[in-house]
Amino acid sequence: MRDKFLLAFRSIRERKARSILTVLGIAVGIAAIVSLMSVGYGMEEAITGELTGMADMISVMPGEIRGAHSYIEKGSFTDRDVSDLQRIGGIKEISAMTYDAAEVEYRNENVPIFVFGGDTKELEGFYVEPVGLKEGRWLRENDYKACVIGDRVANDFFDEVIHVNDKLVINSDKFIVVGVFEKGDMLYSNDVDSNIFLTLRAAKEVLQTDEIKYIIVRVYKIEEAERVAEEIEEVINDNHGLDDFAMAMTMGSMIEMMDDIFNIIQGVLVGIAAIALIVASIGIMNTMLMSVMERTHEIGVMKAIGAKSRDVLSLFLLESSIVSLVGGVTGCVVGVIVAKVLSFLGSTASGLEIAAIVKPEVLLAGIAVAVIVGVLSGFYPARKASRMSPVEAVRYG
Amino acid sequence: MIHTENLSKTYMMGDVEVQALRAVDLEIKDGEFIAIIGPSGSGKSTLLNLIGCLDTPTSGAVFIDGIDTGKLSENGLAEIRREKIGFIFQQFNLIHTLNALENVALPMFFAGVGRETRIKRADELLAKVGLGDRMYHKPSELSGGQQQRVAIARALSNDPEVVIGDEPTGNVDTETGNAIMGILKGLNRDGRTIIVVTHDAEIAAYAGRTKRMRDGRVLD
Ligand SMILES: Nc1ncnc2c1ncn2[C@@H]1O[C@H](COP(=O)(O)OP(=O)(O)OP(=O)(O)O)[C@@H](O)[C@H]1O
Ligand SMILES: [Mg+2]
Repeated sequence: MRDKFLLAFRSIRERKARSILTVLGIAVGIAAIVSLMSVGYGMEEAITGELTGMADMISVMPGEIRGAHSYIEKGSFTDRDVSDLQRIGGIKEISAMTYDAAEVEYRNENVPIFVFGGDTKELEGFYVEPVGLKEGRWLRENDYKACVIGDRVANDFFDEVIHVNDKLVINSDKFIVVGVFEKGDMLYSNDVDSNIFLTLRAAKEVLQTDEIKYIIVRVYKIEEAERVAEEIEEVINDNHGLDDFAMAMTMGSMIEMMDDIFNIIQGVLVGIAAIALIVASIGIMNTMLMSVMERTHEIGVMKAIGAKSRDVLSLFLLESSIVSLVGGVTGCVVGVIVAKVLSFLGSTASGLEIAAIVKPEVLLAGIAVAVIVGVLSGFYPARKASRMSPVEAVRYG
Repeated sequence: MIHTENLSKTYMMGDVEVQALRAVDLEIKDGEFIAIIGPSGSGKSTLLNLIGCLDTPTSGAVFIDGIDTGKLSENGLAEIRREKIGFIFQQFNLIHTLNALENVALPMFFAGVGRETRIKRADELLAKVGLGDRMYHKPSELSGGQQQRVAIARALSNDPEVVIGDEPTGNVDTETGNAIMGILKGLNRDGRTIIVVTHDAEIAAYAGRTKRMRDGRVLD
């Protein structure tokens, strides 16, 4: 047996160029499978991860969502609504917010921009922690004429870029910019990039309203979120004497709404894997068939000097297994590297933190595919050649 | 002893039948040195391949030491090729990834001979054909004559009673050809049966008996 291994290794090593090509042919296919699957899993994880990080949150809005994109506002919440919510058990934090479009002036340019006001601590946890500030600091509860602006407000909305300590006029009140957000990624850019943030007090004043348009509630236990959401709707609907005035949405139900998206992502992933598998298998078959077929002559010579078909087959099977295994392992290593590079490029492009997830079962499957397909497609021409008469095989090539 | 009965081989070239061998009856005694000569296409190689169990006849039979080789299984034929016959090709047909020593040892590997014995014997055989100093050379690093001598050593690897050469001197110059025939003559003197095909009357002169072939028949 040891001699057989030595002979197989010899044959692989002496045929260096051929062996390297065969190994590469196998490795490319396996690398495709491994890298695509790893990036795919990473993408899925990145999106669910972002969402589950916010799973303890309930958004409460005075209106209802109809269909995929339209929201119908039915009024606004009152201070009494907010204080009544405090009686509901299981709530950790309540944050009331108001927002509206306002006329914003900077260096004689006027642009309408959404102004957000809310509890500074709550907004900090909700926006500042995930997105981060590029310049300056976040609002403090006792700030008054201070604001923090989103990335697009700072860079795109006005001819001139706005920095910390620049002054804006919001609905004819002067504000000083104390901070500028980083650019938000996919999930946050809508909420942050094109908005201006104020303290709740300042927002109420500048927007000249007591209306609360948005309440964010955090619960202690995620599994209680649905119950708390129902109670919130009841309490507020009671206050306003309507059946469906308030809509309280848990993150869980938002994630459920996104199920379709996940199903599509999963489908795409499975599709990619299937294609990669087919392409890889065809490539492996091709290289293996060629590399064994061109040795029909050698098989003939071995038989002519007394080798049994079984001897020849086991020798070639051993050789194919070694080459396939090396190809499979090489493919896994290359695949992991490619996955890391792809996910890095993907993260930079989308702003979403994607880390390739290399699952051991994907690596094992990759190696298994390499060995099974490789050995089978090496076995077939070897068997064919070993069944020829020695004369026929020797004539070949 | 080897003898053929009514040995025939027909090849199909598309729809055309080529009768390469027609009812050949030939007897070769143990320890004989026989040369077969004949024009190209007369069926010399076809005959040798059948005697050497490298191919199967269309009809008729080859008997080796009284065994009807047509009745043997695939493995039985492999065993005869391995133990009883050493075959030398015109094209040498060495395994080019293996060095001279490994090429010579290969038939012993298939016979299950232990590693040390294999190396010792291959070493001796190479020395015997005058290649003691070329044992670790690859075929590509050897001249035609040297490669043919490795092939002879390989043919002797499992100490066969019969050595068959299909134009063993066909690809080497006259001088080397004579040297190779000298080696075969020596093997014959040791008691081995030698069967050689050649075009060359001078080469045939080494043999004790010469048979002519024409159109798939052995002439008297
Ligand atoms: N595999 C084959 N398929 C078809 N015809 C073949 C095959 N092998 C040999 N023949 C034919 O059989 C006949 C005898 O061939 P063979 O090789 O035995 O001749 P030969 O005497 O050895 O010739 P040479 O001296 O050229 O080697 C020739 O007509 C040849 O064309
Ligand atoms: Mg011939």
